[in-house]
Amino acid sequence: MDKVLIFVEAKGDEPRKASLELLSEGRKLAESGQYSVEAVFAGKLSDTLKEKILGYTERLVHFTDQVLEHYTAQGFSLALAAYAQETDAKMILAGATRIGRDFMPRLAVLLHTGIASDVTEARWLENPMTFVRPIYGGKVLAEVSFSTFPVIVTARPNSFGIEEPSLKKGEIVEKQTGVSAEQVTTKVVRIDESSQAKVDLTEADLIVVGGRGMKTAENFKLLEDLAEVIGATVGATRPVVDTKWRDQTDQVGKSGKTVSPKLYIGAGISGAIHHIMGMDTSKVILAINKDPNAIIFDYADYGIVGDLFEIIPAMTEELKKRLGK
Amino acid sequence: MNIVVLAKQVPDPEALVEISAGGKKLEIEQKFATNLFDEFAIEEALRIREKHAGKVKVITLGGGKATEVIRTGIAMGADEALLLEDEAFLDGDGYATALALSRAAAKEPFDIILCGRQAIDHDRGEVGQMVAQFLGLPHVGNVVKLDIADGKAVAESAIEGGKEIVEVQLPAVFTAQKGLNEPRVPQIMGVMKAMKVQIPKATLGDLGLSPEEAGLKGSKVRIEKYLSPKKRPPMQLITGEPMQAAAEAIRILIDVERVI
Ligand SMILES: Cc1cc2nc3c(=O)[nH]c(=O)nc-3n(C[C@H](O)[C@H](O)[C@H](O)COP(=O)(O)OP(=O)(O)OC[C@H]3O[C@@H](n4cnc5c(N)ncnc54)[C@H](O)[C@@H]3O)c2cc1C
Ligand SMILES: Nc1ncnc2c1ncn2[C@@H]1O[C@H](COP(=O)(O)O)[C@@H](O)[C@H]1O
Repeated sequence: MDKVLIFVEAKGDEPRKASLELLSEGRKLAESGQYSVEAVFAGKLSDTLKEKILGYTERLVHFTDQVLEHYTAQGFSLALAAYAQETDAKMILAGATRIGRDFMPRLAVLLHTGIASDVTEARWLENPMTFVRPIYGGKVLAEVSFSTFPVIVTARPNSFGIEEPSLKKGEIVEKQTGVSAEQVTTKVVRIDESSQAKVDLTEADLIVVGGRGMKTAENFKLLEDLAEVIGATVGATRPVVDTKWRDQTDQVGKSGKTVSPKLYIGAGISGAIHHIMGMDTSKVILAINKDPNAIIFDYADYGIVGDLFEIIPAMTEELKKRLGK
Repeated sequence: MNIVVLAKQVPDPEALVEISAGGKKLEIEQKFATNLFDEFAIEEALRIREKHAGKVKVITLGGGKATEVIRTGIAMGADEALLLEDEAFLDGDGYATALALSRAAAKEPFDIILCGRQAIDHDRGEVGQMVAQFLGLPHVGNVVKLDIADGKAVAESAIEGGKEIVEVQLPAVFTAQKGLNEPRVPQIMGVMKAMKVQIPKATLGDLGLSPEEAGLKGSKVRIEKYLSPKKRPPMQLITGEPMQAAAEAIRILIDVERVI
């Protein structure tokens, strides 16, 4: 049986959503009888986290080398390359998160193979195996195939469904990959956490985005309040970020983040193509704009023409009522 | 400080892109621009040179309009350029492109390679990291601040919900993210110089590559076909007074779409 490795990433005690999505896909691959699937984790692994991953995989391989305790692109790519070679892996998957997108291309070079980055669909069981990835900011999709093994893929968060964990827990194996401190020539001096957003925009199910129509930084409180009721993450357009009403990490669009939530609510946003490119794969889009001709309405499922300063607070109130908060 | 910038000419973000030949080809409107993130890379290279002396060399791989990115680089103030123009270089995946660019960069000694976080045509975000790996160098991705001193760099990398401050020994590769700087507008003298400049070119042979290692032939990942993204049904307008419209929107999101 061909070996598949799924690189699992976590935030504290929680596996990242993109990882759970791939683990869920991995289960289907295992059930097909064509693949044996292993989850791979590097760094500190708490008991809670371990349990959560083991509900999705028959085997979790934990890389325990000291140098892998903190993420570095060199360390992680070398470790995964060594293990992939040892197990003759045919496929290596990771979420298209900051970390996945950072080190997986290095892994591809180490293994003399290609990579399909930020895929949104996978036809794992077809021959040849194909993957779909948006290009030109989502104006077109490219279906790609590989001419070499292993196949390396990073998958855009929110592209696959997450299944319930199974009651049968897998086994855990500890592994030293042999990566040494000398092989890692970058040093993380410190990490500054600026925003305390619970969930990153790229992974959030629900997103509320504000544009220049919000008028001031303070007015974003209205969006924060709405987001709070439904557990959404707040985003912004580029001019909002450029005028420092919101942090750069909140920017959605071509030069910001690509988001793919279940629900995107946009308020006071005109719908410039650069913005649309970053949110067009959202499942449901609701736009609020006082201009009936705003372009964003061409890309929305639902639209309200009106003053956001009236509509947003009304929506927040209604939600509180409906959700009993 | 010898600084290499890898920069690419890409279709303008607003250019029309259409699928033709039954999914085998793309028709792209002939409007071009320097890749947004590569402009940050060029600007940063110039700023480092202004502070630490040295030279800036812009390298690009591509045919036709690709020379424009080099002229932009020269107009902004770059000292040298190299164009990988051979037909055989074209249509490569990230791997083939990075292999050729890494060979081109390594033709002369360098301290820093700067590239963009992502080329906004194929949206791969791979080449910088791959160039680093081909050359056995470290990289720092998504850089929003870069300080060079004593043969070392301290880079701030944008991460989810914050910044990671990374120290790295040179030579190293950095990929530029928005926020790194404000690219300058070329001065007239620069533009004049750029128009006249003879652009040196490199062929496969110059880089020690065989045709099987470059471009489409050297690609490990190939595009089978182009597909259209799913079209959304026409928008449904929610009407009424603000209170009513808001309530109706919430009803739809909860009861019909079931997304909340
Ligand atoms: C190379 C490049 C890259 C770019 N990258 C990005 C990117 O990544 N992300 C991005 O977002 N943009 C990006 N942009 C900018 C983009 O082109 C637009 O300028 C930007 O998206 C517009 O932001 P906006 O919709 O917030 O503002 P505006 O276009 O000014 O729209 C404001 C909207 O608010 C509405 N409004 C005002 N008051 C109210 C009210 N009280 N109630 C309801 N509606 C109201 C107005 O009708 C208007 O439609 C990029 C541009 C370039 C050139
Ligand atoms: N053909 C090319 N010529 C020069 N630089 C390139 C080319 N392709 C990619 N790059 C560089 O690599 C970065 C990332 O590209 P990509 O991996 O294609 O998204 C770009 O921002 C450029 O700096």
